[in-house]
Amino acid sequence: MWFAHGRLLTVLAWVALFILPLVLSDWNAALFAQYVTYGIFALSLALIWGGAGILSFGQAIFFGLGACSMALVTLGKLPLLGDSAWVGLLLALIIPTLAAAVLGWILFQGRALAGAQLGIVTLCAAFVAEIAARRWDFVGGFNGLFGIPPMTGLDGDILSGFATSYVVLGAALLSYLIALAVLRSPLGTVLAAIRNNESRTAHFGYDVRLYKIFVFALSGALAGLAGALFALQFGFVSPTLIGFGLSTEALIWVAVGGRGVLMAAFLGALIVRSSESVLSSALDQYWLLALGIVFVATVVFAPQGLLGNVLRLPSPRRFATPKKLEEKSRSVGQVEPDAK
Amino acid sequence: MLEVKNLVAGYRSGGRVLDGVSFSLAAGEIVALLGRNGMGKTTLMRTLTGQLQLQEGSINFEGTDLTNRPSFRFAKAGIGYVPQGREVFTDFSVEQNLMMGVLGKDGIFARLPDNAFDVFPILGERRQQRAGTLSGGQQQQLAIMRALVGRPKLLLLDEPSEGIQPSIVDEIAVTLARIARETGLTILVVEQNLEFVQALASRVMFMENGRIAGATDTVADLHTQTDLIHRYLSI
Amino acid sequence: MADVIALFLDTLSFTLTLLLVTLGLVVIFGMMNVINMAHGEFFLLGAYVVVVVTGAGGSFWLALVLAPLVLAFIGFALEWLVIRHIYHRFIDTILATWGISIALKQAITIMFGPGLQSVPNPLPGTIDLAGIEYPLYRLFIMAMGLLLAAGTYLVFFRTPIGLTARGVIANRAMSASLGINTRRLDWATFAFGAALAGFAGAVMAPIMSVDPQMGVGFLVPSFLAVLVGGVNSLVGALLGSALIGGTSTGLSAYLSQADTQILVFLLAMMVIRFFPNGLTGGKR
Repeated sequence: MWFAHGRLLTVLAWVALFILPLVLSDWNAALFAQYVTYGIFALSLALIWGGAGILSFGQAIFFGLGACSMALVTLGKLPLLGDSAWVGLLLALIIPTLAAAVLGWILFQGRALAGAQLGIVTLCAAFVAEIAARRWDFVGGFNGLFGIPPMTGLDGDILSGFATSYVVLGAALLSYLIALAVLRSPLGTVLAAIRNNESRTAHFGYDVRLYKIFVFALSGALAGLAGALFALQFGFVSPTLIGFGLSTEALIWVAVGGRGVLMAAFLGALIVRSSESVLSSALDQYWLLALGIVFVATVVFAPQGLLGNVLRLPSPRRFATPKKLEEKSRSVGQVEPDAK
Repeated sequence: MLEVKNLVAGYRSGGRVLDGVSFSLAAGEIVALLGRNGMGKTTLMRTLTGQLQLQEGSINFEGTDLTNRPSFRFAKAGIGYVPQGREVFTDFSVEQNLMMGVLGKDGIFARLPDNAFDVFPILGERRQQRAGTLSGGQQQQLAIMRALVGRPKLLLLDEPSEGIQPSIVDEIAVTLARIARETGLTILVVEQNLEFVQALASRVMFMENGRIAGATDTVADLHTQTDLIHRYLSI
Repeated sequence: MADVIALFLDTLSFTLTLLLVTLGLVVIFGMMNVINMAHGEFFLLGAYVVVVVTGAGGSFWLALVLAPLVLAFIGFALEWLVIRHIYHRFIDTILATWGISIALKQAITIMFGPGLQSVPNPLPGTIDLAGIEYPLYRLFIMAMGLLLAAGTYLVFFRTPIGLTARGVIANRAMSASLGINTRRLDWATFAFGAALAGFAGAVMAPIMSVDPQMGVGFLVPSFLAVLVGGVNSLVGALLGSALIGGTSTGLSAYLSQADTQILVFLLAMMVIRFFPNGLTGGKR
């Protein structure tokens, strides 16, 4: 029933998001922009998790790398590249993409790691990255990098919270459309096949490894974008950004929102982050306890997430079937988490 | 002793493999269940061991209602199961496999009955051997004995002759017939092998499209009853 | 010579300590195919049982007995509330136990505060081992690691309970059809694994800084030890613990703690990459 409204509700959600800054104060608009940044990060995770069934505990590596790249460039630590935020953005896309491609190559070459092994190895990678970032003074060491200049307009003025929120929203919509286009293309169908049964997909003649590395790298780029936006908004980059803590936090957002549907994962980040800022003052330290319990309950009793079923989109048109068969085949090619 | 009414079961998506199966077994009977592939015989066996949930219907065994009870309750009530493909514990020794048959029934202090290695002498010879290294026939004997050491009142056998050399098939049929005669064991056996059925069963039920579609009490000359065979068994 | 013996003792100590901490993980992972991300918090809770009991004037040894019992109960409750719903959903067991770990850690923080708790050393003093003064309590920990590993091995491979458990792992449906109550075995195994973790936490409490973050530090090395050695495998856990413990101790003689950690993690990741089933290949 809800199913039929997925497309409409998704469009409405975007419209609402774009109207929201108009009614917020400048301070709250800036806050909203931060949540949307986390939303982009959640999108990057949902792309590999919901799309290809790759559960990574190290997604923050790419977020952190993006943030670091932006910080290093804009602070002028890489003199050859100048200090423009645009160059920073470019680097924040390239470095995480390369890192993800290399990590993906390590993880998925030959007999691909999956399940427990994949989870623990990515978790480990996040730990290593965080420890390494603390030890490396070039990226700020234990304290991180400070004084990153905020976003400026074309005229060189610092953007208001209101303007920032639209820049970030634009980036989010673009990321969403890219991820959506990938998942709804034939490539996305292959990814869904890999998610459901990897060895069978390989037997059909698909080079499973390349597909996985590609989507992993793309997801790295989106995470890097989120990291770069983060650095510009917060003005600092600390080693915790690259580590295990933020990686798992993102898993919570995506699982609570809905791992199988991009928009649900995106809104999951917004919902969890905004309820945190509202509730953490009211609930004090009980907030984290409540979050843990809500997270467990969602995973156990609503594996599709709170919004997954509401925002699920109909199948791409190439799967369109005569009306009579539609009922049976509507899940074909749909981004739908399996129960494994 | 076993009263089965209107069983409906199948895939979770709603496909009905069993579509209203009803029958009953009397104590001490040996009944064969015949039918073509895909008619629901194994599915029926799995519902009778509680491995498959029922969508509708009821299973009553010796006055106990077992409908949608957990699987181990079926075994505790006295239903022994020898599944298709035998499913012995391949990493365990023959003796450990037999222990699995009594541990569930009698608890952790259970001991094997004295005759555990007498019924099929080969099991005594191979007592410490890994079950995975046994031949198919020996594994079948092990699976049967594993069920018997639990002292079932009803034994469910799913295709016991499948992929086994004829001499062992005969041995199994003769042994089961003797045990049933001596102990009053009730047996329900799914089989394709008519000789095996004729050697063992006193009654035959035919299954078609998820239902019991026919039955006969004259088993001895089953292979000559071409009308039944043509209708329910030939392709 | 004394240096070599000291290094050997340190390696052995690290290995057996890690083995002690890893055992509960191996039981839950190997027997139930559940990745228990809350293992570190079970460990933590064991240590806090000691804090509470000794704080109330009770003896440390009493706490050592109570900790596994408390954790067995907590494990039982969590299995019933959460885990039993998601056995067939492997990824969700990782997520759900991760959520449990967040909630438990925060509950501890709320009850005891984020600060350090100290536990008195019940066996102060040292013992002379081939010319090395070695802390007595470290030897006790090593003995406990060895004892518990041997005990767990015997339970699983030499008793009817262990046979039943292994049978259920090998073929769940068939075991149930032989009359084995698989549900009871599930919660019992989970409770047993939790109890092992709690015991490890209690044993380690006197030589560690007991605070709410203490579990995480042990979670990753434990998981690596399990995966390097091979899941489903107690011998693998021993091997994995020895490798992680050995390289950690060996490297830390030359490098800083952080660099050692990075190197050990990277090495372990490579081993897992090239031997996804662990070095023992998943047998025993």
